[in-house]
Amino acid sequence: MEDSWIWLFQLMGRLHVLIVHFPIGLLVMALVLEGLTLNGRRPGLKIGSYWMVYFGTIFAIIAVILGCLLRNFDDYSGALVQQHQNMGIATAALATGTVLILRATVTGRISTYNFYRSGLILTVLSLIFASHLGASLTHGEDYLSSALPLNNEPNDSEVTRLLAELKVRDSLNLDQLDELNLEVRAIIAHNCYQCHNDNKQKGELVLDSKRGFFQGGKSGPVIFPNDPQKSELYRRISLPAHHKEVMPKKGKVLKEHEVALIKLWIEKGAHWSDRAISVFPEAPLALEKPLLPEDSNEDHPVDQLINAYFQNNNYKWPGVVDDKIFIRRAHLDIVGLLPQPDKILQFVNDGRPNKRELLIDELLNDHTNYTQHWLSFWNDLLRNDYSGTGFITGGRKQITDWLYATLESNKPYDLMVKELVNPSEESMGFIKGIQWRGVVNASQRTEMQAAQNIGQSLMGVNVKCASCHNSFVSNLTLEQAYGFASIFADSTLELYRCDKPIGKFAGASFIYPELGSVDGPSVDRRLAKLSAIIVKPENGRLYRTITNRIWKQLMGRGLVEPVDEMDHLPWDNDLLDWLSADFMDSGYDLKSLIRQIMISKAYQLPSIDYDKVEDLRSDKFQFRGPLIRRLSAEQFSDAVSQVIAPVFYAAAYDPNKKGLSSRRIWHPEVKYDRSVLPDPGVRYFRNVFTISDSKIESAELLLSVDHSYTMYLNEQEVSKGADWRKVHRLDVKDYIVSGKNLIAIEGINEGSIANPAGILFAMKIVYTNKEEVLIQSGKDWQSTKVKPDKTWIRLQFNDESWVQVRDYGSSHWDKLIGFNFNQTGSEFARASLVRQHHFLKALGRPSRETVTTNRDDQATLLQALELTNGEYLNNVLEEGAKVWHDLHKNKSEKIVETLYQKALGRSPTIEEREVILSSLGSNPTKESLQDFFWSIILLPEFQFID
Amino acid sequence: MDLENINSRRDFIKKMGAASLVAASTTIPSVSFLSCNSLARYASTADTVILLWMAGGMAHTETFDPKAYAPYEKGMESKRVLSTFPKVPTVIDGLFFSEGLESIGKVMDRGAIIRSYQSADLGHILHTRHQYHWHTCYEPPQSVQAPHLGAWIAKELGPVNPVIPPFIAIGQRFTVGEAEELKAFHSAGFLGTEYGPFLIPDPSTGLDSVRPPKGMTIKRFEARYKLYRELVDKSEIMQQGSGYQRTSLMRSMEQSYRLLNSPEAKVFDLSQEPKEVYDQYNTGRFGLGCLLAKRLAMNGGRFISVSTEYEPFLGWDTHENGHARAANMKSIVDRPIAQLISDLDESGHLDRTLIILASEFSRDAILEGRPGKKVKDQVEQPDIINDEKFYGMHRHFTDGSSVLLWGGGIKKGLVYGQTADERPCSSIKNRVVIDQLHQSIYHALGLHAETNYVIEGRPFYTTPDGQGKPILELFG
Repeated sequence: MEDSWIWLFQLMGRLHVLIVHFPIGLLVMALVLEGLTLNGRRPGLKIGSYWMVYFGTIFAIIAVILGCLLRNFDDYSGALVQQHQNMGIATAALATGTVLILRATVTGRISTYNFYRSGLILTVLSLIFASHLGASLTHGEDYLSSALPLNNEPNDSEVTRLLAELKVRDSLNLDQLDELNLEVRAIIAHNCYQCHNDNKQKGELVLDSKRGFFQGGKSGPVIFPNDPQKSELYRRISLPAHHKEVMPKKGKVLKEHEVALIKLWIEKGAHWSDRAISVFPEAPLALEKPLLPEDSNEDHPVDQLINAYFQNNNYKWPGVVDDKIFIRRAHLDIVGLLPQPDKILQFVNDGRPNKRELLIDELLNDHTNYTQHWLSFWNDLLRNDYSGTGFITGGRKQITDWLYATLESNKPYDLMVKELVNPSEESMGFIKGIQWRGVVNASQRTEMQAAQNIGQSLMGVNVKCASCHNSFVSNLTLEQAYGFASIFADSTLELYRCDKPIGKFAGASFIYPELGSVDGPSVDRRLAKLSAIIVKPENGRLYRTITNRIWKQLMGRGLVEPVDEMDHLPWDNDLLDWLSADFMDSGYDLKSLIRQIMISKAYQLPSIDYDKVEDLRSDKFQFRGPLIRRLSAEQFSDAVSQVIAPVFYAAAYDPNKKGLSSRRIWHPEVKYDRSVLPDPGVRYFRNVFTISDSKIESAELLLSVDHSYTMYLNEQEVSKGADWRKVHRLDVKDYIVSGKNLIAIEGINEGSIANPAGILFAMKIVYTNKEEVLIQSGKDWQSTKVKPDKTWIRLQFNDESWVQVRDYGSSHWDKLIGFNFNQTGSEFARASLVRQHHFLKALGRPSRETVTTNRDDQATLLQALELTNGEYLNNVLEEGAKVWHDLHKNKSEKIVETLYQKALGRSPTIEEREVILSSLGSNPTKESLQDFFWSIILLPEFQFID
Repeated sequence: MDLENINSRRDFIKKMGAASLVAASTTIPSVSFLSCNSLARYASTADTVILLWMAGGMAHTETFDPKAYAPYEKGMESKRVLSTFPKVPTVIDGLFFSEGLESIGKVMDRGAIIRSYQSADLGHILHTRHQYHWHTCYEPPQSVQAPHLGAWIAKELGPVNPVIPPFIAIGQRFTVGEAEELKAFHSAGFLGTEYGPFLIPDPSTGLDSVRPPKGMTIKRFEARYKLYRELVDKSEIMQQGSGYQRTSLMRSMEQSYRLLNSPEAKVFDLSQEPKEVYDQYNTGRFGLGCLLAKRLAMNGGRFISVSTEYEPFLGWDTHENGHARAANMKSIVDRPIAQLISDLDESGHLDRTLIILASEFSRDAILEGRPGKKVKDQVEQPDIINDEKFYGMHRHFTDGSSVLLWGGGIKKGLVYGQTADERPCSSIKNRVVIDQLHQSIYHALGLHAETNYVIEGRPFYTTPDGQGKPILELFG
């Protein structure tokens, strides 16, 4: 086709917009008239209405043809256009059908008008839908909804105000020009930077600098001052929403008044202000303790502030929760454990008016359990774990010793931050980051990780984006991020934009330079300076950030959300500031902060559920009370350990450091000259030890074998077992003889494929003269995989062909808490102390490769699968059922009552008791007990913190 | 579902349609901390993806891209060693494979080969780091946790059959060396655990993961759930109304119950296969993994990976005795892979199933890393070979390797790209990088190249910056 004809088609296409209104008017009117003539009334209207249908149909067909032209010659594309086209064609087809039916009816071939009427109704419905799609195309999909009240974004009013104020003036003064320009740049920043920034440069256009703005892009300048119509930028943003050339491409078009403001700016000469823009709102750094409302009936400052908040939101205080709910909440929140039944009873019957406060104090003074609960929160926040990436290549370091001691002694938070930022050997893991072997992206060098993690965890600011390019989500620049990272670097860092060096170097500076300089000749000096300025009281942000996190931990949702973006507005500013200031006044005492929140009435309000997760994140969130929370992975495991049977017997971290030095040994397995995991099968082990003639006072033996074993001591079978997590503890004094003794162990590795297996053994022999001998599993043991003859358990057996065992190290097994001779303490290992485990992972414990400040706590299918058929939990329940069965035999009623008390802190209702007893029967089997336990621990009542 | 009767293609499609309807109506509302820009989808050419993962670095010159054969002689020079096997013809004229891969050679008329894949340059080699990069398309470390390819697919497309998890990883244990690094990418990352892999380290015990706990009869399993439901119904907390937390818990429990109680668990049961079929596949765990993948693909799997398993210095990670060990590896993978392709072809599933075979990088007898960017050697290689132990590809080479593809719209018989015939055997034509492979897979599935979620305020794309492009020449 010749180009010279295109204009004609284009023109005709554009007539579509005019022509479409004809069928709309005609067909709708025809339907109305048809309605008016029902039941034979107003017969005069009939003929006219038929003509309307004829003409309406003809115009509908024309409109479709023109629409197709418009689409092809004016470059419209997208799903919405396609839908509109389909609906348009459907309307025309329906209309044609209706005409045919009408003709048939008028000429008597169809005896009733009902077919015609139905056809007409369908046509009009289709027409309305098609027109709606068309309108969405022209005006944007949110055209209607944006006019509804409550749908304006916060900064919208600023644009509207400015537009109204400046539009009416003929000339603007410098201040007004500046203001206009800054607002325009803010709009551009939020909508255009993503593609038109220094590194992406779509269409070779850069909109994040003055030079870029006026230099234009591939197709020339985009701004002609005073002439918006000539300015490409204006043309592109003012196109209809689904036009092929409309900008911005991703997401929705600019709002009408935003476009108008940009137009105004160009009209007024496209002035460029020298003032730096704060495109994104920033929270002030400083913190002042707000005054409390004077006329409040509430005692607690938090409640006085919440009272004012409730008043503003027309909400009345509901009553506080009862003692049973409160004690469960308080226990889970402070020590992470369920309250014992007798404790609940005692608390409920306690008549003292301040008993809730006393309970909180008592729990906060349980230093061990407080530490072992809050450790998980801090591990998530400080990215600390017992295993994970980076450990094999020495690219990572634990801070567990330091963190545990810090929590146990309730170290003041400012000191804690100082020690994290300017660390000792013990706390350096936090800023050390994770180093993978090889070359890493510049934005992930360990110095930058330090900046990112301090930013996120401690300061509630996102440095991650700015570490690659100027941020699109905050005012941080690449240079600032590099300045921050340089504090931790041995040499001056060169700036890399999106992993490419740009020939600029950054001097060390903190992202909040107003706090002071961090210059120094060495990393040590700079860290010392940083640690001193970051904890200054002027840095209210540091304290607000942690206060907000603790609030979220106890209440389910932060005062500010997301908790890592402290520039967002809190739902109550005074409350956040008051609590943070009070926290500082307390001497940066974390327990005092927890206490302050928990003794408030606000904490004791009934829990709130919500309809969707989005509601929580919304700016319109309103506080009504703590959210209903799900038990964390650790809380759930510990609760099951408390109620049914231990979930974990071994911990990765032993705070008491009492472990024995015995090694896990097994027969060496070699493939291609490499040591590999043991295959399944039977292996035989021997160890000879010598005893002096002195008289023995005691001989105690500890044994744990993965998977199962039979042990002989001097030819006699002394023990058998099949669960490595349980330490077998035996008195073997009678088996020991003076002179040579032989330990022989037949061990079996189960499973279908190679997997870890190992014997852990220790025996302490004490002579009457108090001398001690310790025999342990280690490299001096011998083993074979060839089945020996039955004399192998004899001392005289010739084991020359046997080989030395292999030490399988500690990477496959945590430390058994029961593997020591003077057994004390808890029967189960707290879940916070075990290494990452698939069971905990399924329940939401994060792998701590990056900082985690928000665990998903909603249920998922994979999680439900783990809980329903996972071998791990199933074994725990099976074990618990066995213990309970042995303990209570067939006393069903007793079992039901006890379990309800332990698990739910109450007696079962009559109905519940009936259901359970009919399932258990009078003589419950282990299986039925196990299934009963399963049903209880999966009840919402057990799973949630109400 | 009756497995014997699902083998006709029409039936399969019918049931799949029904299954997706169920999926749409029963899935838990997805996590919405993430917001996604809704993007149009392309017309897809595949519904299911099977990744055959040659873990440990498979040398292209010893497998699918043979070079001049240098038979072993005592006293030969290391630099003469390019291939330690003779080449053998395949069903495609002019396409030769290394000896030991004859079966796969016979099914190349149903697939394509890329001979010019170039791994990332990550400096000093660490297998798991390259594997992380291959599977997520992002180089570790990252400031947010990058999702595995399978997790993206699971998130975007959900299950084909609602009772078969959409992301299944077969064959890799996590008790071996570098386990933590392996775990780091067997993850849905920020997309949330719901889209994470369903792990089956040993395909012969796959059934255990999808049926009631060991030792529990179906009858007991049903009674247990009944008791649970009754207690839930009677409990006060459920009578206070239903919020998000309570509904999602109840829904997940019900789904899990249905899945575990579903007859389709049989899909995971390899003993349902006739003995001849089982034996044909059974070259060990990898072969049985292929058999399980076949069953899953035929019954509505979405993304399935089968790994030869990475264990440092084992499998394809040959640091010595390279020749003998490569021969062994080939005998493990050749037969089951070829069988998988022909079985899926015969049943009609190959048309909509995309199969990819790949490895994190290749190997060479001399070069460590890539030409011009030498990194630290991890193994001694003498100039003169006097012991057969030194005959083979013992160093890591990142500048060229082979990727094979079948089905799901892939052009049949295509040879794409080329490596040099002399050392360095680098990619010299149509170089392909990981972003393109990922985007080609997404393209086949109809996923938009700029699929992304906003995390911590910025968009995180399936491939970095949303810049990756599919290789359209691969598609027929």
